[in-house]
Order: sequence, then C-alpha cells, then structure tokens
Amino acid sequence: MNAVAEKELIDLVVDWVKQNGRNGSNHTEISESTNLLESGLLDSFAFVDLVLFIENCTRQKIDLTDVAPEEFTVVKSLCHLAFQNGH
Amino acid sequence: MTKQNSSRSLIRGFLESAERFPDRTALVVDGESLTYSSLRRLAGRIASAIAENGHTRSPLVAVWAHRSQTAYAGILGSLGAGKGYVPLNPKFPLERTCRMLALAGCTVLIVGRECLGQLSGLLGSADFPLTLILPEVFDLGEFLPSRPNHRFITAGQLPSGESFSSGEDSASASAYLLFTSGSTGVPKGVPINQGNVRSYVDYICRRYDVNEHDRFSQQFDLTFDLSAHDLFVCWERGACLYCVPEHSLMAPAKFIRDHQVTMWFSVPSVAGLLEKMRLLPPGCFPSLRCSLFCGEPLPAAYAASWQEAAPNSIVDNLYGPTEATIAITHYRWNSQKSPGECLNGIVPIGQMFEGQQFRITDSRGESVPIGEVGELCLSGSQVAAGYWNDPAKTRQQFVRLPGARERIWYRTGDLVQRDEAGNLCYLGRVDHQIKIRGYRVELQEIEAVLRHACGTEQVVSVPWPVNSGTAEGVVAFVSGVKGFDQARILANCGDVLPDYMVPKKIYLLDELPLNSNQKIDRGELRKLLLEGALA
Repeated sequence: MNAVAEKELIDLVVDWVKQNGRNGSNHTEISESTNLLESGLLDSFAFVDLVLFIENCTRQKIDLTDVAPEEFTVVKSLCHLAFQNGH
Repeated sequence: MTKQNSSRSLIRGFLESAERFPDRTALVVDGESLTYSSLRRLAGRIASAIAENGHTRSPLVAVWAHRSQTAYAGILGSLGAGKGYVPLNPKFPLERTCRMLALAGCTVLIVGRECLGQLSGLLGSADFPLTLILPEVFDLGEFLPSRPNHRFITAGQLPSGESFSSGEDSASASAYLLFTSGSTGVPKGVPINQGNVRSYVDYICRRYDVNEHDRFSQQFDLTFDLSAHDLFVCWERGACLYCVPEHSLMAPAKFIRDHQVTMWFSVPSVAGLLEKMRLLPPGCFPSLRCSLFCGEPLPAAYAASWQEAAPNSIVDNLYGPTEATIAITHYRWNSQKSPGECLNGIVPIGQMFEGQQFRITDSRGESVPIGEVGELCLSGSQVAAGYWNDPAKTRQQFVRLPGARERIWYRTGDLVQRDEAGNLCYLGRVDHQIKIRGYRVELQEIEAVLRHACGTEQVVSVPWPVNSGTAEGVVAFVSGVKGFDQARILANCGDVLPDYMVPKKIYLLDELPLNSNQKIDRGELRKLLLEGALA
C-alpha cells in the first residue's frame, strides 16, 4: 500500500463515522486527528465495527496487541496501523 | 490482627492497612503512585476540612471527580469524616449532576481538577450554599468569578489532618448513596450503609483470600456501585488499586499485562470487546488469579474465552442489584461442567453469598416450586433498607412476603429459575429495565426525555443492537412529531441523559404498531430492526 491508499482509507473512515457514528455526527467536525472515543462519536461497540470495516477495506488484519489504546483510537493513527502491522 | 465484626467501618479497614503497610503502594492513578501513608495523609486533610467546615446535618458528602487522586482521597476523606459519599460523574450531563447533588442534599462538595471546566456551570445551577473542597487546586482565580454564596477550600488551605482516625464504628452509618435510572424520569437514590458493605467486603476477602500482594483493577466509574468492590476489598487487605485510564477502558488488555494485575473485575461486555478485537488469545493474562464479572448476563462463550486467556485465574460470575450492595450471588466457571449448566448460552448466577437469603416468587409474592420461573427477592445484611427519600417506591419494592414476614425482602424485578444443581439462572426482567454496559437503564426514563424533546406522547425506546443477550444501546421510534429534527432531539437528550442512555438513532414512523391489547408492540419494532426495513 502507498500513502495515497492510506489517505483514501482516512476518507473512507471519516465517511463511515459520519454514517454510523452517534446520531448527529454529520454536524460534528471529523478530521484525521479526531479521537473517535474521546469525542463521543463512537462508543466501544461501534469502534469494533469500524475496525472490522477497515480490515475489510484493506483485506488485512489489524494487530492491536501491543498498541496503547490512546494510539489506535485516533483516525490517522488507526489507519496508519492498518497498513503498518496488518498481516 | 484485623478486627472482624459487622460494624467495622470501611475507613477502619483502610487505616489499619495503612498502619501495617505504610510504604506499600495503595493507588496508581493518572501516572502516579501513592503509598498507603501518602494516601492516608491526603485523605486525612480532606476529612479534617470536612469536619471543620461541613457544619451540616447531612450524612453525605459529594465527590465530583474522575479517575484522579482527588476521587479516591475524596471518598476516603468523606468516610474519615464520618460521612457517606455521593459520587458524581463529570461525564454525565451537568443537569443530571446538579439534580443528583440537590436530591442528595449535600452541602459539601469535593471537586477534582478534571471538573473545573464545568464548575462554573454547576455553581450557576446550585441555588443553595456549598462548601467546595479542591485538593489539587492552589489558585481559584483563573477558574472562577466571585461566588460569594459558596465557600472554597483550596489545596493550600487544607488542614494538616494529623488527627485522622477511624472514629466510631456504626453499621447503620452511611457508606454511599448511588443514583440509578428511575422509571419516572428522576434518578433513584439507593443509600447503602456501612454494615451492608462490611458484609460484602468480609465475605469477598475470605472467598478470594485477598492479600497485600494483590493488584486490583479499577475499571468501573465511581457512579457504578461495582467500583466499591475495587476500592474497599483492595484496601481492606493492603493491596494496590490500579485505576484504568479512560483511554484504556475499551481495550484494557495491555493495561492488565503492563501492571501484572491479579484481580480483575468488569462487566462481561469488556471480554466481548476484547475477543472481537482479537485481544484475548489463550494465555495472554498469566498474572490474573481472580477474574470476576458482574453487571449484566455473562455469555458462556465469553467466560470460556476469558478462562483460556487467563489460565491461572478462577472465573466467577457475580450477580447483584445496587440495592443488595455490589453482588450477592456467585457462580464458579468450570470449563468441563459449566457449558452444560448454562441456560440459553448464559452462565448461571449461581448461589447466594453465605448468610444472605432469597425467595423466588410469583406475582402474589408466594414462593414458586423449584424449577419454575419467578421474581428473585433478596434479604440479608447486604440489602438496603429502602430508597432515598422515596417512601412510595420503597413500599413498592421492599416488602414482606407471605410465609416470611419476619424480614423485609427486596423485589429485584429479575426473573430467575433454580436448576437441579441449585444454581439460580437469570432469565430477564419483569419490567422495561435493561442493562447497557452494566448500567441499569429504565426505558421509561429515556421515553420521558424523548416526549419532552419531541413534543409528542408517541415515543418508544427499544434495546438495540442486542448481541449474545446483551444490549449494546437503545434506538427510539417516534410518531406525530412536527418538524422532526433528529440531531436537535438527540442533542436535547444528551443534555439530560448519560451517553449510554442517549438513543443511537431515532426513527420517525407514520404510526407506532400496536398489539392486540392496544399497547405499543415492541416486538414488531424489533422485527423491523432485524429485517433492516428502516431507513
């Protein structure tokens, strides 16, 4: 994957959050630096759904075993992880 | 040796541990460690501040703090001053917090630094004078305009706390007051006394042989009564409490490993989330020796996965409503035997704690034969005496039963069945109460807020989605709303309700389906959701 693919993934994730996040997400500013949990846009169940969505997009599993949660709940770092340690 | 009796206060348990283990770590929170002696010192200063300034007959002090030193020292300080504590949660809407404060009748409020951003709003709503204790704030000037009605005690003004002692033991003294969702739209207060918690703590310490080398997780928010287990069981035996940071709550696997936690306690949903994220591989938690789950039905699949992930740990399913103090039944998971004892894929809630009593009753309060379904009623030293300032609700739920009139029974509203092995199995509710992430939610409370926000009586809320028998949230259906604006309605809900009670979606229908009794047909609505027939 290249940087463009990662950027595309960020856009896909932002769109997914707008559609599937807490109601009213359409009216909330979402960017690549948004923390999806702290912002209240996603709850923990929805976050798991998002991870599955990303894995479906990249066709790679994301390994979160040794990653601190504060790192993988931000849009950009989550998408980066999807390529960094996917297997 | 520790003194064991039913009136031994919770603060005595902590202080005796501080005496025995002054240099052991009592608390790890927000990246800092506090020894028993340093936590005792801070709690003592807060206790002295309450005693010197809390000229009030109120038996309660409110603690508005979250996963901080002030949260834990504030609770200990309140108990040290002979008061019960009322936990308030900065994650809750300010309106709800103000209402809880007023309902509790507290005039002393301990405030964590993490709540300062909301403090001005709270004081603007409080129409009674408060004494505010701010143990981590030295200069108020930058936070607040002049508030002459209220008194502020900042960190530099706290007394020395040298004379901190446990005072007199009294089983009837208040331990804490918690608020749960109320069907009338007003949060319902459950007062728990020292004797209630003492019974629980002593039993649990014996059952799990808790010792000073244990490392306890502290996953629950303090407004959730299961947090009282973490704090008081841990400190009773000189163990260390590890507060899980907010950002690790969803996926605490790394936290458990990093801190070599030995005693885990959470709602089952956490296990489910870890499993879905593939963070629960076999053998990943070798440090755990006790894994306890409570707060919602435990799916057998989660128990089995957790047992494999924590091979050195026992896995216990606990059950108990807030009114019966944290938990009152337990069931030990056994990989061979338990799958055959589960009902509908849910782990039994098991047997009563020693010394506590139960009945399973029909709608007239008569006991049902073994094997039949009925409402679980509870009695014993862990069961509260009633609701806070609500005699009508108390009379309704705390009753005398035919053939057992010598004691008061708490009607849980939970439907259970006793199996051949004598285990209690949870089957559901007699009413519209549900659990979301372990939080009790009265659907009527959500609907009351929705009616106001939508300007219509035609509202109904449904738990959705439901996976492995566990509700992950709520969606709502409304009809007859003029100028339907979902975002505005949800924003209004968010102003009043905690996030877990705010509907994930609101569907506008031409009319709500009715059943043959002309009541709203919730089953039909669930069917629409299942079929994905809604836009």
